[in-house]
Amino acid sequence: MVSLVLAIARNAFREAVRDRVLYNLVLFVLLLTAAAISIGELSGGQERKIIVDLGLSAMLLFGVFIAIFVGVGLVYKEIERRTVYSIFAKPVGRGEFLLGKYLGLCLTLLVNVLIMGAGVSLALIYVSRGWDPLVLRIWPAVLLIYLELMILTAVALLFSAFSSPALSALLTFFIFIIGHFSADLKSLSTSMQSSGARWLFAALYYLLPNLANYSFITQAAHGHFPRTSDVMAAILFAFLFVVVILAAATLIFSRRNFK
Amino acid sequence: MTTSRRKFGLFSRQTKATNSLVVVILLGMLSAILLARWIDARNQRADPALEDEQLYVTASAARRMSLGFNGLIADWYWMRSIQYVGRKILNAQQNIELDKLGQLKLRLLAPMLDTATTLDPEFMDAYEYAAVVLPAIDVQEAIRITRKGIDANPNAWRLYHQLGYIYWQEHDFSAAGDVYGQGASIPGAPVWMQAMKARMAAEGGSRSTAREIYARMYEQSEDDKVRDMARRRLMQLNSFDEQDAIRKILVAYKIRTGHCAQSWREITPMLRAIRMAVDASGAPLDPGKTPYILLTKECDVQLDYQSEVPVK
Repeated sequence: MVSLVLAIARNAFREAVRDRVLYNLVLFVLLLTAAAISIGELSGGQERKIIVDLGLSAMLLFGVFIAIFVGVGLVYKEIERRTVYSIFAKPVGRGEFLLGKYLGLCLTLLVNVLIMGAGVSLALIYVSRGWDPLVLRIWPAVLLIYLELMILTAVALLFSAFSSPALSALLTFFIFIIGHFSADLKSLSTSMQSSGARWLFAALYYLLPNLANYSFITQAAHGHFPRTSDVMAAILFAFLFVVVILAAATLIFSRRNFK
Repeated sequence: MTTSRRKFGLFSRQTKATNSLVVVILLGMLSAILLARWIDARNQRADPALEDEQLYVTASAARRMSLGFNGLIADWYWMRSIQYVGRKILNAQQNIELDKLGQLKLRLLAPMLDTATTLDPEFMDAYEYAAVVLPAIDVQEAIRITRKGIDANPNAWRLYHQLGYIYWQEHDFSAAGDVYGQGASIPGAPVWMQAMKARMAAEGGSRSTAREIYARMYEQSEDDKVRDMARRRLMQLNSFDEQDAIRKILVAYKIRTGHCAQSWREITPMLRAIRMAVDASGAPLDPGKTPYILLTKECDVQLDYQSEVPVK
């Protein structure tokens, strides 16, 4: 089973590379290089902070676009090209197929995030004219960004298991937005008059991921490290949420009829 | 019979898989909810009921609205405020000190710095810029933004120094002393913060207090423009002392000769006696190494307008 999943993951990664998904790195490098060279005159002595904010924000933005637009096409493309028939003619379960596809895109995102993190580190060394402690301090924020992207990829995969790519992309993007407004859902769940509304908002709050827990870019730009317990909780929550989402996606996908 | 058994087996396997998935979903959701509650409990404020509603967007709301890109948007507002001030100075075509920009009517500066610090409540340089530049434009806004910074960063003693500086500029030495005293009680605050409190009470308006404030600002600031402003203000304070000394010599010369000195050469030996730097023509040099101007009719001295030392 593991080898099957890994084979599908490898293929999903290869496909992403063939689809030139990693070309976004060129744009990222150009953006950072331009920023590193020109920011000195514009930033009023805040070059390092701006490089970190810009680099990590671009990492999140590019990652979200990849997670959404590649994620929603992972299953749909196989169905559209009818390659799904030849895959399921082999002893491959639908859960294994989804897990493999998910891990393949996560691998693509990992490569993306690692190269971008290295790019931000190099840009920091360039603007600081030497070693800078921020070079190490950005990596917990990079890890949290990656976890957020893993959650979004799972959400995109879940929607793509039963919906069209356009609708899946839209719904995933909504989840990304609502995920950052999670705290408001919680305050609504306590401040509403009607108990039904309170329950609804509380349910939404707990059903949707609180992505604000994965935002550490601004603090990283000031050289702060997150608390280890916070990072561990974020990792555990991402793992649990991804397991739940992939299980739900498998449940839906396994009932889907391709005829 | 065999077919139906196979079908039944397949059905049972599918049911088992479905049941397992449902169990995974339920258990996973339950664990995720418990974990989310644990995270919330750790991040909760002491007493949310006591928290006041505020008219402006709170930092946490602004962060949510910016979808995690708040740092980048804060940088954008910061750069816009720097460019805004720079453009206004260029258009004015004058050499204006950073703390005397009131005449430029920078009405957008306070909202821009306010937004930058709301989006990134730890943006120390933006608070410092607000404390140095804003008092000449809108002192109440300067105080409000700096106090907002203190609320968000209660352990940042530098913000107390900046707030004390604003009050000192307003000649409110009692408030300045209180603020320095509060800052001095923060763990890690330098000893001179306590000394500043005492100095504000004893001689708030003195030149030595001003020298101390600008010297500390020059030492502590990480912003080149603020450091340059502090350096030039220190030069100005030294120049005030020098001008006082030169005036004494000019008065003494007039008493002795009955007329004002008509050239620096006439008093160069006396200037040298008090260890003042003089140029080849015997004119005393200001801290920016530009010769002072002798006012022969008034028996007085003044800075050259070309000098690096600020006149006002």
